[in-house]
Amino acid sequence: MAEHQLRIDPAGAPRATVVIVPPLFEEANRMRRTLVLAMRALAADGFAALLPDLPGQNESPVPLAEVDLDRWRDALAEAVSGVESPAIVASFRGGALIDHKANAEAWWRLAPVGGASLLRTLLRARVSADREAGIASSIQVLQDQAGAAPLLLAGNRLSPAMIAGLGASEAQAVRPLRSIGLGADGIAGTPLWLRAEPGEDAAMAQAIAADIAAWSKTCGIS
Amino acid sequence: MTQANSVDATLRALLADVLGLGEDRAAALTEDSGLFGELPEFDSMAVATVLTEMEDRLGIIIDDDEVDGEIFETYGNLLAFSLRKVTD
Repeated sequence: MAEHQLRIDPAGAPRATVVIVPPLFEEANRMRRTLVLAMRALAADGFAALLPDLPGQNESPVPLAEVDLDRWRDALAEAVSGVESPAIVASFRGGALIDHKANAEAWWRLAPVGGASLLRTLLRARVSADREAGIASSIQVLQDQAGAAPLLLAGNRLSPAMIAGLGASEAQAVRPLRSIGLGADGIAGTPLWLRAEPGEDAAMAQAIAADIAAWSKTCGIS
Repeated sequence: MTQANSVDATLRALLADVLGLGEDRAAALTEDSGLFGELPEFDSMAVATVLTEMEDRLGIIIDDDEVDGEIFETYGNLLAFSLRKVTD
């Protein structure tokens, strides 16, 4: 079943298409406005920008409990294969865990994070909420349960395969890759993906778009 | 910068990032400033995010059993816990 995509086109024929791989789970919501601002800035600079829904996320018809990281990798590869101009994959945080199967001309990653760290935060949120509600809970007990049945973590019903995949997943080598963080050597801005209440940062969005455009040029794409 | 000062600065920056406090509110936190239950932004997801970021930024490992409600009661408690962990 086809997933929705948010696509922002430039005025003329695109120089290239930047496929945005958002952070995973709650972090995606916290970043979404800034990502879309970056997409608009890319379009103003002549790029097409594409933000595909991952199966089980946003408007997807697929239940989240039926997907795992491999399904996301395949879905992303399919979205990239449908792009007509040269594709640059731009991944944020946990997005870097699922971007390597795509057939792209270049990759760009901001603040990639290991799956184990994301999973630990999700498990902790569940433990913290359980304890607040007076329910005895621990990361170990939850992890044992997760082997057999989907587990509800911070509002996400995750399959055993998703939880096992996250626990073992690291960003994979791709080429050519520019991988940066926040700060002096990377993008000026704050880690909006951590923010308890979603914010937005127009200057950070501009910096993201400019860095991707410069990387595209370095790679000889446009 | 002493180690205590650097842990204090790291912790304030981290709370500013997670809770969206802004530099001024983060700098104005005192030992007695209430956190969980007092700051509306500080929900169970924020607690989880703070713990994982503390591990990353302070280079510590926080065990499930070490975390109780008291740690997040006040900024002073969270700072004392962090200092204990980095000197362990």
